[in-house]
Amino acid sequence: MNKIKWTFMALAIILSVGGAMATRPHHAKIDTLYFYNGTAYIPAGELGTDYICQSSANVCTYAFNGITYTPYMQGNYDNVQFQATKVKENKK
Amino acid sequence: MSRRQVFIECVAALLIMLFLYASLSKFLDFEVFKGEMNNQPFPNSWTPFLIWFIPLTEIAVALSLIFEPTRLAGFYASLALMSIFTVYSVFILLHFFRYVPCSCGGVIKHLTWNQHLVFNLFFVVLSVLGITLQRRKYFKSIFINKNKNSFV
Repeated sequence: MNKIKWTFMALAIILSVGGAMATRPHHAKIDTLYFYNGTAYIPAGELGTDYICQSSANVCTYAFNGITYTPYMQGNYDNVQFQATKVKENKK
Repeated sequence: MSRRQVFIECVAALLIMLFLYASLSKFLDFEVFKGEMNNQPFPNSWTPFLIWFIPLTEIAVALSLIFEPTRLAGFYASLALMSIFTVYSVFILLHFFRYVPCSCGGVIKHLTWNQHLVFNLFFVVLSVLGITLQRRKYFKSIFINKNKNSFV
């Protein structure tokens, strides 16, 4: 009985640790992320502080590797509504 | 090992996989997780607390599900945690907050909020099943022990 139990537990632990390691992003630490305003890529600032990414299939922010801009985070870039939210929070 | 016991082991193993995977993927990409927490529609002042509280709680729940004496408590904790996540998903879907943030956590972040809700509900049901079966097993063992003692 114990053998079966520990087989289940070992399998669960190995699969979850292995899965987390296998699906972890392999990007190096990125200092600056950019958003595309329709004409150019602009530094986005800090997520949650300067802007938010709202749920969407679009690309919210891009990473720059020195040559090209590649999609980094999915969503809709938004800083206007976010600032309104923060203003409301500060008033409270 | 009875069929019921095998089923309890399967339920516990699935919950352990969920919580361990979710917590480890947060720790393995900690900076992104921190940003994603700031991206959620609650005050940023909560972030320093939540970025440690959520993954450490998930690890604690996973550990409690491994060992028999703490398993029932683990199932209850798992139900509480998954219920909180489910209620949060419902609030997001009902546009209770001013905006709909991106979801987060390893591969799970690729799910939409609707898929998230179904995913969470599945694990809520698993936790309830785990509690029911584990409680039956627990009370059965107490009853058997009492009977054994009364014959001595």
